[in-house]
Amino acid sequence: MRFNATFGSTITTDIQQSEQALQTALQQVSTGKRVNLPSDDPAASAALVQSLNQSANVDQYTANATAASSQAQSGDSVLSSVVSLLNKAITLGTEGANGTTSAADRASIASQVNGLLASVASEANTTYQGVALFGGTANSGPAFVADAASPDGYTYAGNTGINYIAVGDTLKVQVNVPGSQIFTQPGASALGSLQQLATALTSGTTAQIGAATAAVTSALSYVSEQHAVYGNAVNQFASQEDFLSQESVTLKSQQTSLVGIDTATAAETLAQAEAQNSELLAAAAKVLPTTLLDYLK
Amino acid sequence: MAGLNTSLSIATQSLMAQEAALEMTSNNIANANTPGYTRETIVLTEADVVQQGSVTLGGGVTLQGLESVRDQLLNLRIQQQTSQQSSADAQTGALQQLQTLFPTTGSSLATGLSSFFTSLSALSSNPTSLASRQAVLSAGQNLAGEFNTVSSGLSTQQSALDQQTVSDVSSINQLSSQIAGLNAQQAQLTGTGENVGSVEDQIGSLELKLSQLTNLSVTHTPAGDTLTTGTGTPLVVGGKSYALETTAGANGRQQVLDGSGTDITSAISGGDLGGTLAVRDTAIPNLLGQLDSFASQFAAAINAAQAKGYDQNGQAGGPLFTVSATVAGAAASIALATTDPAAIAASSDGSSGSNGNLANLAAVATAKLGSGQSPEDVSAGLIYQVGSDTATAQAESSAIGLSLTQLTQQQSSVSGVSIDEESANLIRYQQAYEAAAKIVNTVATLFNVTLNMGTAVGGS
Repeated sequence: MRFNATFGSTITTDIQQSEQALQTALQQVSTGKRVNLPSDDPAASAALVQSLNQSANVDQYTANATAASSQAQSGDSVLSSVVSLLNKAITLGTEGANGTTSAADRASIASQVNGLLASVASEANTTYQGVALFGGTANSGPAFVADAASPDGYTYAGNTGINYIAVGDTLKVQVNVPGSQIFTQPGASALGSLQQLATALTSGTTAQIGAATAAVTSALSYVSEQHAVYGNAVNQFASQEDFLSQESVTLKSQQTSLVGIDTATAAETLAQAEAQNSELLAAAAKVLPTTLLDYLK
Repeated sequence: MAGLNTSLSIATQSLMAQEAALEMTSNNIANANTPGYTRETIVLTEADVVQQGSVTLGGGVTLQGLESVRDQLLNLRIQQQTSQQSSADAQTGALQQLQTLFPTTGSSLATGLSSFFTSLSALSSNPTSLASRQAVLSAGQNLAGEFNTVSSGLSTQQSALDQQTVSDVSSINQLSSQIAGLNAQQAQLTGTGENVGSVEDQIGSLELKLSQLTNLSVTHTPAGDTLTTGTGTPLVVGGKSYALETTAGANGRQQVLDGSGTDITSAISGGDLGGTLAVRDTAIPNLLGQLDSFASQFAAAINAAQAKGYDQNGQAGGPLFTVSATVAGAAASIALATTDPAAIAASSDGSSGSNGNLANLAAVATAKLGSGQSPEDVSAGLIYQVGSDTATAQAESSAIGLSLTQLTQQQSSVSGVSIDEESANLIRYQQAYEAAAKIVNTVATLFNVTLNMGTAVGGS
């Protein structure tokens, strides 16, 4: 076969390819990415988008957990105060039930119990971000409104709605407990039992005061249970936040491995591409100018 | 009769032959870098012998003419591969522009979708917050905008390819008519027995240009090349060319018609025209179709979830997105239906502090749409699709590029001019010419000797 040394065209093609490889290697080093366009690796690009999506979700779950956690903490501290207020009421009730206590003293104790009642009612009307914390999902002003006609002394103005917040793909947690469940639960009503105690202290018998004190005690134990629910929720949010932050790190490393390139590999590829390119150029410079004419002199 | 006259005549023939060879070498060297040039060789044969008694003497050299060295089969293969390469290149070029509409990071349909759903999730932790509700509306607005942008980007590219189709067809017609003209010239030259090498070279290089535009089928005949498209629509027959036409079709895009007005658009493959049509009529409609049904199904799913809940005023949730009634054009038309932050149906029971229905809205993110895929899957799927289309076209282009390089090298080894070879030939022909001239000189001297010999006899 006739051989025709067409160095010109093949060398141009080779140089172009070599320079393209060099540019790709340089781009990979400078961006730290192996995939810069969908066509670089379609499957990795699609997976990256889904992973980024997942990351955005995890970030949002974390924000949700933080928000829900601070709401639960605020509920937790309210219930702590209520527990201590109810404890005080029990002490006062026990004191009032003592047969030796004078009527004047009982009146004084009754006014203290009324003060405690007002405090508990005020705690029950705590707002969080402008919304009554224990008003269910009603968002219609205070959760409890003073009402002389009610045996509890207060009417629940909220509803029994419960909100859940997603803090994971399949994990939703309850973020509120309706006030009617905590403060006016039939048989264990904090507000009702305090009202009962105040009334008994004002005009009741020792036995009635004792019964009212017992009612406050059962309300206390019920509120304590609810308190524990909030405490657990706070712990649960904290551990979920830990999990989410790990998840976030895992996703980030997944994204890096999908489209990123190992720095050492990238540097090595670049060094190879540089060496190959300069060798090719040197070879081309040597071969190109030589023809028979150089020697026909 | 052998003799000095014969020698002189042989030497003269030789001088003419070497002159022609030198001229040919000069022409080869001059065209060493001319694209489409086919090197020529000289065809020399021995002249008729001279019989002298029992002795047979050579009769010198006869110059038969010049011949272009070409391999028609190789040329056909190069034309076919060129046609495929141009098609792959056209697709790569168009798709590379398209894939910028589907970035994996930064502002995109996928991130717009993701932001919309995270804004709904953010609202769930404080459903009465005006700021959070406004954030959902903004994210929805942004998402609708992304749908519109991608849709219009695809349509714009389609219109650009439409114009490319018209310009390709007009180039094809121009080349066809030039080739028809050269065919006529070639027939005339062949009729008078002249060298048609350079005309053939011109036809060859025009055919190569034509095969960059569309798939070409070439038949060589003595009356010139007959050219048809790959599927048999005649372009050039002898000295006559048949122009293709373009006209706006029912779908608003330019259709290619043959000389008799038949629509041959779908039959065209290969070349820039084939690649352009493949992207315009297959890749883009495919992406646009997926995008449209995605937009339509997404809007329907969100609006259905809205209808399950109540807005902040306790009213049943109204639609959040408006979209065209037909699926086609849905992505271009999708828009936010309201600017009222209260319209987001977060509540499941009508109370304004409830976030119960946000779970229904957020569930759309992972729920299967009519296509059997969730919105997240569809947006990732679109990226995969456009990336894979582009990567396939690129891979095809570089694969054909390799085989084309090989074929071109092969063609160059058959038909290309080698400077080294021509330099060597130059010296050969130079020496032969000098030797022939020397013979003329010698014979002239011998004639003198012979004449002087007569004078010497007469003088004595």
